[in-house]
Amino acid sequence: MIVAEDLHMHFRRGLLRKQVHALNGLSLEIADGDFFALVGQNGAGKSTAMYCFLGLLKPTSGKVQVMGKTPGLGSPHYEGVAYLPEEPHYHLYLTVEEATRYYSSLYGKRVPDKTINDILERLGLAQFKSLRLAKCSKGMKQKVGIAQCLIHETRLLFLDEPTRGLDPLAVREFRETLREIHQRGATIVMNTHVLSEIEMLANRVAIIADGKVVAQDELRNLLTLDRELYNVTFEADGVIPDYLTSVERVGNVVKGSIPKDRLYDFMDFTRISALPVHECSLKKISLEDSFFKIIKGEGSHV
Amino acid sequence: MAELLRANVLANFAYFRRSRLLIAFALVFLLLTGLTSLPTFFINSSVQNFNSLQEIYSTMNVFLLLFAAGLGLFVVSSHLRNRSLKMVFTKPCSPAVWLLSAFISAVVVTLLLNLVVLASAVVLSFVWHLPVRAGLLFISVDTFVASVGLIAYLMLLATLAHPAIAVTFALIFNADLFYDAQMWAQSVIRSGNSSPALRLLARLFHYLYLALPMVHAFGKNRKHLQQLARPAWRVAISSPLPRLRAGAGGFLLFLSPIRLAEKKAHLKLRSGLQSLGSSPVRYTRTKSKDQHLQ
Repeated sequence: MIVAEDLHMHFRRGLLRKQVHALNGLSLEIADGDFFALVGQNGAGKSTAMYCFLGLLKPTSGKVQVMGKTPGLGSPHYEGVAYLPEEPHYHLYLTVEEATRYYSSLYGKRVPDKTINDILERLGLAQFKSLRLAKCSKGMKQKVGIAQCLIHETRLLFLDEPTRGLDPLAVREFRETLREIHQRGATIVMNTHVLSEIEMLANRVAIIADGKVVAQDELRNLLTLDRELYNVTFEADGVIPDYLTSVERVGNVVKGSIPKDRLYDFMDFTRISALPVHECSLKKISLEDSFFKIIKGEGSHV
Repeated sequence: MAELLRANVLANFAYFRRSRLLIAFALVFLLLTGLTSLPTFFINSSVQNFNSLQEIYSTMNVFLLLFAAGLGLFVVSSHLRNRSLKMVFTKPCSPAVWLLSAFISAVVVTLLLNLVVLASAVVLSFVWHLPVRAGLLFISVDTFVASVGLIAYLMLLATLAHPAIAVTFALIFNADLFYDAQMWAQSVIRSGNSSPALRLLARLFHYLYLALPMVHAFGKNRKHLQQLARPAWRVAISSPLPRLRAGAGGFLLFLSPIRLAEKKAHLKLRSGLQSLGSSPVRYTRTKSKDQHLQ
C-alpha cells in the first residue's frame, strides 16, 4: 500500500536559513490492511513522513509510493484516501452538515442528502448539523472527518494525532469507529504519542527517531515477554527475600520481581512460611518499555 | 470536475457570507456612502439629484473594485493561512481546480454585487424622477471587467506571498507604474535615443501596463460615462473594450498561480501551509489609489 525508500527531507528555516533535517533516510513499508502506527518523540519526523505520503510535501530525495503511484497534491489516485488532520485544519466557517457534504463531494461524486443525514444521525451529529465547525468540540470535528470515510468506503486513512484533546468517552467512541473502518478493509496509518492506544488498535508499529525508522515490527513482537523476570504478588508479614526487586508493599501484600533462577527459592520460601501467593507470572514488556529501550539504543527490531 | 467545482464554489460562497472581515469591510463602505449621500435625500433639485446619483454610483463602483480585490485576496490567503487546504488536496481535488473555483466564486459574487449596485442606481433614478442613463450599464460593465482583473492579480499575489506583502506589491506594481514607465521610455525614444534595448523595454512596459489591473489610461471616456451623459456608442464601446483587454491580461495572470500550483505545488503550498502568518491587511491606501483612478 505504501512504500517509502530512503526518504530525506531538508528544510531551511529562520533568518539565517539554517538547514533542518526532518527525515534522514526513512524507509518503511505498509501493507494492505495494516493498522500501522508511527511512533516517536516530538520532532522525530512522524508528521513530515505522513505529509510525504500524502503528497503535501515533496521529499528532498528518496522514493515514496502510495497505492503504486507517486503521491501529489489532489492526485486523481486519492479516490479512496482520507486524511484527518489535527485541529484546527478544517474549514471552520462551514457548518457540520456543510462540511460533511463538502468533504464528501471532494471525491467528485455528489452525495445524496439522505446519505449525509443518515451518517450525521449515526455519528450523533444530527442535532448539531447547523453548528459551525468553529464552535464544535474537537470530538465533533473528528466525527465530521470520520463521516467522509464512512460515506466513501475509504481504502487508506491517515490520522494525525487523532485523539489529542478528546475526552475519554469520545476516545472510546472514536476507537470503535476506527476498528469498524479497519474491519471494512481499510488500511490505517496513525501518527500518535499515545502508546496505550497503539497497543489497543495497531497491528504494526514503526518507531521513528531522528528522521529515520529505528524499529519496525508487528506489535505482538514488540510486546514480548521478558523471560528473565517473574512478577510476583504475595502476602508477607515479616521478612521478604533479598532477591526480590522493585518491591511495592500495600499492607501485608507485597509486589515485586524475581530473577528466573530464583523461582524455586521463592516457591520454597512461600511454601515453608505458608504465605498465600496471588500472582506469579513472566513479566510482560509493554510497548512503552520497548519504545524506551529502542529509543535508548538498547534494542533493535528493524 | 463539475462536482468538484460546484462543491468548492459553494464552500467559498459560505466563506464570503461568513467572513467577518469582508462583512465589516462592506458595512463600513455602505455606511460611508450612506452618510455622504444622506443630505441629498432632502434636496428637491433635479440637477442636484443628478449630481448625487453620479457621486453615489461612482463611490459604489470604487467600493466594488476594492471589495473584488478583497475577495480575491482573502479567499486564497485565509485558506492557506488556516491550512484547511490540507483537507482538500489530500482528496482527488487538485490545486488548479480549487484555484479555479475560488476565482469563479469571487467573480460571481462581484457580478451579483455589480447588479445590485446597478439596480440601486436605476431605483434611485426612478425615485428622483431622472431618466435612466445607459451610462450606468456601461460603467457597471467597465467596473466588472476591471474587478475580474483585480481578483486575478490579487489571487496570484496571495498565492505567492503573505496578504500584507501582496497588497503592498499590488499598490506599487500596478498599471500606473508601468504606464509612467512606458511614457518615460517613449519620451526618451522620441528625444533621439532609439536603442533596441530601450525599444524592448518600452514594449515590455506596455504589455505589463495592459496586463495589470487598475487601468485608467482610457479615463477620458470613463469620465464621460461617469457623468452619465448619453453616450455615443463609439465612446460606450471604446471604454469597456480596453478593460476587456486588461481583464484578459488579468485572467492570464490568474492562470499563472494555477500553473505554479501544478508545477511547483509542493514548494509553494508548503510555504503557504506552514509559513503564512495572520497579519491584518490594510486597505486604506488601496482606496485612495483607486479613487485617484476615477
